[in-house]
Amino acid sequence: MASVRTQKEIRQRAPIWLVTLLVTNLVIMAVDARDADGRQKILRVWTQTFASPLQNASSKASGATSGFFQQIWNFRGTAQENEQLKERLTQVETELHAARQAAAENERLKALLNLNEQSQIQSVPARVIARDPSVWFNTITINRGSTSGVEVNMPVVTAGGIVGRIITVGPWSSQVMLITDEKAGAGAVVGQLGESGALGSVRGRADLGVSLIEMRYVSGLEKVEVGDYVMTTGQDGIYPPGLNVGRVVDVKHGTATQAHQILIQPGAQLDHLEEVAVLLYHPPRRSTPEQTPNIERPKR
Amino acid sequence: MPLRLCGCQKSPQRHRGTETTSNASMSQLKIAVVLLVSILLQLSLREVWKPLSYIDFPLVVVVYIALQRDAWQALLVGTLAGLIVDASSGGLIGAGGFAKTLTAYVIYFAATRVNLENPLLRIPVLAAASVLDSAIYVFWHRVLGYPPAVPFVQTMSYKLIATTVVGTLALYLLDALVAERSAQRRQFATRRRVARRSTGSLRRR
Repeated sequence: MASVRTQKEIRQRAPIWLVTLLVTNLVIMAVDARDADGRQKILRVWTQTFASPLQNASSKASGATSGFFQQIWNFRGTAQENEQLKERLTQVETELHAARQAAAENERLKALLNLNEQSQIQSVPARVIARDPSVWFNTITINRGSTSGVEVNMPVVTAGGIVGRIITVGPWSSQVMLITDEKAGAGAVVGQLGESGALGSVRGRADLGVSLIEMRYVSGLEKVEVGDYVMTTGQDGIYPPGLNVGRVVDVKHGTATQAHQILIQPGAQLDHLEEVAVLLYHPPRRSTPEQTPNIERPKR
Repeated sequence: MPLRLCGCQKSPQRHRGTETTSNASMSQLKIAVVLLVSILLQLSLREVWKPLSYIDFPLVVVVYIALQRDAWQALLVGTLAGLIVDASSGGLIGAGGFAKTLTAYVIYFAATRVNLENPLLRIPVLAAASVLDSAIYVFWHRVLGYPPAVPFVQTMSYKLIATTVVGTLALYLLDALVAERSAQRRQFATRRRVARRSTGSLRRR
């Protein structure tokens, strides 16, 4: 029969199939690698849309499995945990009282400064449905997409601190690049914004993994100590100012001509992310001067 | 000689042909199911425990099919597995497909020239496949300006160990579940047992 191929035919045709498939993959790769000037990549949107049902299914399956084992594990230390929780409750009640007083004071001050609630950034809560299946990258997928108002480059945060930014948006899911990625970055300051001059930028480094990030370009003349908090400055055009990045865990002090080498432990627990929030934040547009020499202006 | 009454009666040759086709389609279905399960495992196990993500399940399936010396199936499964994993990964789409397709061909090429039927030989084959797959994947990312977020040598070593250890066991499992040869072997063993029983009872009579 003509349709049944012999082993010899298969052996002869195998290199042709190989070249065809390799070229197809290469073309897809080249299209995906092309820089889209910060816009959405069409190929990514499609793959994200088709991959999200599979990711949802795998997330539910793994959630159920790990939940079962977690329950068995948790059962062992319930009595001890109960005692600890009682002690913690007493502490929290005291803290809550202090917090209520502070909140009331804050409200009064806000009223004095004539600030309104509208200036606060709206957020969309989201659940992590998948982590990068390849071991080479550290992206996560969340269950919110363009239908929930999520857009590319929006910041993703937790109560602990910043997590990363949106890189791909599908209709019902989005992909987030973690702050520990080498291609991620944020403008940051050691200490309080407006009080400290230790400005720099944070970014991931391949050899540090997801547990640490590096802060660069902080002047060696600025005072930086282990344990200092690092906050966003809002200069990167992605993250709003005043968000917690993490805490300084190591400093190699610089000099007048050399910057500090700072390592930061992210405030958000990036290894155990389950719930996050996407900030529907649009950074203020910077006005470009009309007479800028040697820069090609985009056509409108 | 048997009498043929009408054209609707199947000739033995044609009957054998239909049997082979149904066997082939059954085997393809099994491979599709195994591939889907391997991709689901790859997507979900990282959430359960992070070190489990070092096991490359789709690569194990690709290696298994390439060792069966079926070039078309090995190449197609390699491309599909790579592309699906790439779609939900932060890396470049197509890099995984490229790496797994080339790995599948290299193993197929070796299997057609050297006898790799021995189970012990599968261990170095799996290890080599893991190294080759990682090297090609990272090479394309570096060339196109997307450096991986983790150190190369360390990650490749972990992946090599995890994929080789788990993959060796998985290949045994796949042999038992998917391979037609092992199914035939089981069938022949049953037939032999039945034949022995029947000859024994005849002797007693």
